[in-house]
Amino acid sequence: MGQYLLRNLLQRLVLLVIVSFLVHALVHLAPGEPAEVDPNNPRFKAEDVAKIRAAFHLDEPLHVQYALWIRDLFNGELKSFKDGQPVLPKIWERFLNSLPLFICATLIIWTLSFPTGIHAAVRRGSTYDRSTTFIAYALISVPGFFLSYLVILWVVNAFGVPVIGMHTFGSEHASVWFRSMDNLWHLVVPSLMLAVAGVAILSRYVRSQMLEVIGQDYVRTARAKGLDADSVIYSHALRNALLPFVTMFGLMLPELISGAVIIEQIFAWPGIGRLSFDAILARDYPVVLTVTLMAAVITLAGTFLSDILYAVVDPRIRLN
Amino acid sequence: MRIKQLLIFTPLLLVGLLVQAYFWVPTYEDQTTGDARRLNKFVEASIGDAKLLNPALHADAASGKIVDKVFDTLLDLDENLQLRGRLAIHWQLTENAYLQVLPGAPLARGVVSDAPALLTTLRAAIGSGAIDLPPDLLSGMRILPARRLTLTVTAVADSEVQEQIVVEVPPRLQFTLRHVDQTFFARLRPVLGDDYAQQADFSTWHRPLGDAFMPSLQAQLPVFEHNPQIEFRLRRDVRFHDGHEFDAGDVKFTYDAIMNARNLSPRTSDFEPVKSIEVLGTHRLRVVYKRLFSPAVMAWAAMGILPEHLLNERKLADEMDERKLGEAARATFGMRESSFNRKPVGTGPFRFVSWQSDEVVHLQRNTDYWDGAPIYHDYFFRIIPDTLTREVEFRTGAADSYNPEPYQVARYRGDDRYRVYSSPSTGYTYIGYNNRHPLFSDSRVRRALGMALNVDEIIKYVLYGEGERTTGPYPQTTNFYPRHVAPLAYDPGGALRLLQDLGWQRNTEGWLEKDGKVFEFNLITNNGNQKRRNILSIAQDAWKRIGIKCNTQVFEWAVFLQDFVNPGEFDAVVLGWQLGIDADLFQLWHSSQSGANQLNFVGYMNPRADRLMEDIRREYDPERQTALAQELHELVAEDQPYTFLYAPRKNEVLDRKIVMAASDGRFEPVRADRRGELYFFFSRWRKLAHAPQF
Amino acid sequence: MHAQDSSTGSLIAHTESPWRLFWQLLQRDRLAMAGLGILLALAVVALLGKATTEWLVIFDPTTVRLVDKFRAPLSEASALLPDADRPLTGVYLLGTDELGRDVFARMLQGSFVSMSIGFVAVGISIAVGVVLGGIAGYYGEVRIGPVTVDTLIMRFTDAMLCIPIFFLILVVVALLPASIYNIMIVIGLTRWMGISRFVRAEFLSLREQDFVLAARALGLPAYRIIFWHMMPNAMAPVLVTATIGVATAILTESALSFLGFGVQPPFATWGNILADGKNFIFDAPWLFFIPGFAIFVIVLAFNLLGEGMREALNPKLQRR
Repeated sequence: MGQYLLRNLLQRLVLLVIVSFLVHALVHLAPGEPAEVDPNNPRFKAEDVAKIRAAFHLDEPLHVQYALWIRDLFNGELKSFKDGQPVLPKIWERFLNSLPLFICATLIIWTLSFPTGIHAAVRRGSTYDRSTTFIAYALISVPGFFLSYLVILWVVNAFGVPVIGMHTFGSEHASVWFRSMDNLWHLVVPSLMLAVAGVAILSRYVRSQMLEVIGQDYVRTARAKGLDADSVIYSHALRNALLPFVTMFGLMLPELISGAVIIEQIFAWPGIGRLSFDAILARDYPVVLTVTLMAAVITLAGTFLSDILYAVVDPRIRLN
Repeated sequence: MRIKQLLIFTPLLLVGLLVQAYFWVPTYEDQTTGDARRLNKFVEASIGDAKLLNPALHADAASGKIVDKVFDTLLDLDENLQLRGRLAIHWQLTENAYLQVLPGAPLARGVVSDAPALLTTLRAAIGSGAIDLPPDLLSGMRILPARRLTLTVTAVADSEVQEQIVVEVPPRLQFTLRHVDQTFFARLRPVLGDDYAQQADFSTWHRPLGDAFMPSLQAQLPVFEHNPQIEFRLRRDVRFHDGHEFDAGDVKFTYDAIMNARNLSPRTSDFEPVKSIEVLGTHRLRVVYKRLFSPAVMAWAAMGILPEHLLNERKLADEMDERKLGEAARATFGMRESSFNRKPVGTGPFRFVSWQSDEVVHLQRNTDYWDGAPIYHDYFFRIIPDTLTREVEFRTGAADSYNPEPYQVARYRGDDRYRVYSSPSTGYTYIGYNNRHPLFSDSRVRRALGMALNVDEIIKYVLYGEGERTTGPYPQTTNFYPRHVAPLAYDPGGALRLLQDLGWQRNTEGWLEKDGKVFEFNLITNNGNQKRRNILSIAQDAWKRIGIKCNTQVFEWAVFLQDFVNPGEFDAVVLGWQLGIDADLFQLWHSSQSGANQLNFVGYMNPRADRLMEDIRREYDPERQTALAQELHELVAEDQPYTFLYAPRKNEVLDRKIVMAASDGRFEPVRADRRGELYFFFSRWRKLAHAPQF
Repeated sequence: MHAQDSSTGSLIAHTESPWRLFWQLLQRDRLAMAGLGILLALAVVALLGKATTEWLVIFDPTTVRLVDKFRAPLSEASALLPDADRPLTGVYLLGTDELGRDVFARMLQGSFVSMSIGFVAVGISIAVGVVLGGIAGYYGEVRIGPVTVDTLIMRFTDAMLCIPIFFLILVVVALLPASIYNIMIVIGLTRWMGISRFVRAEFLSLREQDFVLAARALGLPAYRIIFWHMMPNAMAPVLVTATIGVATAILTESALSFLGFGVQPPFATWGNILADGKNFIFDAPWLFFIPGFAIFVIVLAFNLLGEGMREALNPKLQRR
């Protein structure tokens, strides 16, 4: 087991190095320069541009820039081009802002998908099954921002309450209870929008997994024994269908981060997606590079975790 | 079945929990009438976040908004755009002029023998009226002794080649002037004659030196030298938000911070002409300039004063220790890296409280403010990047103001809950032609292109009337803008005739053609600005109608600048300038500023305009400066290096409940200052529970 | 495309061509058939659009008529307009936009551009995925230095999978000049990983099958075995992925347009019409709803068809 984990971990580290090479090369080879130079400011001169280039090592060869990036990243001295502040605390702060959004979206995805998916599988071919199929596909087919605007306008017109941002501004003096409910409300719409595609995809996935398991012999046997339908479905079949979802969990995180770019832009949510988008616009290389690397680390950690779980559950894997 | 129930009830519970939160959220009504404390808070919604809250370093508009509230400047412009004192209670502009005595040089009559003789001659001429000086100009004359200088001179071809040289400089005459006068030495011409400076022979002052070094040496030993100077008396008992008293040392420190190359301050060029700053007392200081540079005074009106005690070397060293930085990081650590930029301390009307990146900057009023505390207790600068949701959030009452787009303004005008404020801005939008390009080198071609555009229609339909035609480089809100210059009239037929006179003929496909080449070029602009993109389409369509083939492209900002604008490799661009109240347009239009990465990227070259811009920079007298500026404006309007399209109006929309406190304790509608700055009276704003009737 | 041809004497018995079976199953899925119908209709529209807006200009998408801005759908052109500028029949079928351009003409023009973005991008990702997956599956054991080709390719694939895809696209698109070709290429180059893993797995199993072993024993050249005998067998799932891939590509383009990095003028796509139109949702709602709905329909059609194909190809479900 230990050896298996070690090998697995090493492979992932190698992957991470490849990712870092890839991303660094990609970002630095592209045209355009850090937009610290404010072109609307008539007082900015060519010498200043040269000074800034030198300060950010933009004239060094690519491999030197890579080495500098990795060095600064590891001793925590990596600075943002944009404001000279250390990158890691900056990313951490934004990640914490996004975290409630991710958690809430994940909760919505996982709690909503299972009952809808299982029900559709049990009633395969029924009107319920066909309409959920259609709704699920409809939901993944709508451009996310299109749907978000529709929902925002509907909520605002129908209920007349603010939905943008992390809380209602100007109500900082209210009681703790009010403020936490206010925060919760501001979480509802964006996390729902972030979760929409996930719910659709996962419920489809649950349905097809369940269908596969239901068709298998032991389930038929259980049925034949005369167990009631619910206990066959929910204890025998579901338990066996669960395993593949462990992997899904790890793989859904990068999707959430990607989705956050647009959702946070619309909802003025100061999270990691906004940070990366603004960094891309400003060509703030250290931030872009580090966020991308962090996303890769999280994904790898997620898949690593699911590999461990797999290994624990299924001894055959350990032996390979 | 337990699992089944669990699976069904968990989502129901979750949804229930989320939805019930709705009942606790305040609606628009709750936020105004139901909550008195909300009325003391002002929430402004902005498209982008601030970058650095440091007046010496910031370069973006969002940071500027915050910095202006947290920091005070020495001077600023009042409601009518006249200079007024802030941290400075008094300032005086004088000049020291220096005349190098050149033994043996020809005068109008005779030659120079030595300094005392020259002084006597001058004094006599002034006394007799042969030299005509305004009566209040000259306050003193004296001889400065000869000097031995060690100078570093550089070769003409290569500034890397340097030499040290010792120069024995003869005495100079110093004239103390009560005000700055760029024509002072010209006034001495009856005595000095016309050739005084031309005959300067430095060769006897130093060891023999190669010809290549002479220009550099001469530049360092000017025959005529103007040293304008400003003496400031500063306000006493002004305290920074941390309680430390403000004094002249802070001003000097601010200047040093800007000039420190390590800080990469974008304001360096404003203060580069400063020769020295002398602290004369705790609240007095004198700024001496190397040469005539009139924009230098305005520079103090834009420069917030930093607290020296929080940013000096010792404090920075402490911060490095605190952050436990390594050697490499210490070597590059400077003010730019300091955490001060995220929690600034100034002397301004608002003190900084907190800043959550991309979410909000929170300020609170400075109750000890020397000019009276603002009425609002809290100021929130919220960041909402999306145009549509900014409007939505504003309408739900969670933002008090934002800059609406013109199409949104049209809707607010019909809504009696809000009041729209529209004021002319100091910027303009233009189509810039690459004047070096053979197609556009003739000003008549540029004029024809401009005549083919129906700018009034653009203003009416694209801007919903929220714009004004503009004719040249100066903003309409300034006196530099001559009212009598008429904008180009829309006349596509005339444009076509003009081009035909220049030899362009329509070919069989309808395109204009000359010498077998079709009139074709690329018009580009930056991504993310819908108005510019619309202009792109409109111009393309309009020119197509007179047979000009215009291809349009849109590029992302960084690419747009780096690949096209900076190297000057474009045909025509749609862009805009945002200017200050500043007569100095040297960097935008002077021919010396047309190289790569410089702002005269269209390559406008006109020797007469160059001379005017140089004179404007040296002119301290507002009236004469205005006359020169108007002349420049007219000249540029004639040459049409750009097609000057329009000056967009600046729009703000506020809840009608927001009013301004008048001096008599009553309320009046919010109004802007002359340059159109709505927030000028922000300290006097407040929000009422119910909209007043005016 | 046909399965194994007779020259090698397929060793797998086929009572019925698998493609015919597939088609029969697909025909039973009404949603998928509806999707297919819509797609065929839209393909005709796209071709007509290309023909009538570019080759033979019947509907002019570029004419600016400021006096006629924001005309609602089905409204008539104003009398002030010069004859040359009038739309066909003098009626704006789908209204006009903020510059008075005919939305119908722009949507027509955009239909071709939007669809070609989807198809070209997917074409690229299929090409890359099939080639890399095929090499890894067939030549996997060849060594280059210490590592096998398989390891090399699959680690690269894994590395690409750990980066949030949309984020990666955004970085590249933001840094590259925004041309329509770059967008096609970038979307294509970031979505091949699933296909390559699929093809590799399929090849690994096919490699050991009798008909391939036989083909090898006969001494057929490798390219013939790969493209003639193995590829058709691996192709079916690739096609499913591709169908859904087109849908994703169209959605990605609209998301990029929303962030300002989509296809730039003079090309109109449904994505950028929607992204521009969202600003005018109160003034001219049709500018928002028409392209939004169009994207929704086309993406949904692709998704339903893809899902139908997947179900029809799933042997486990067929048995039931």
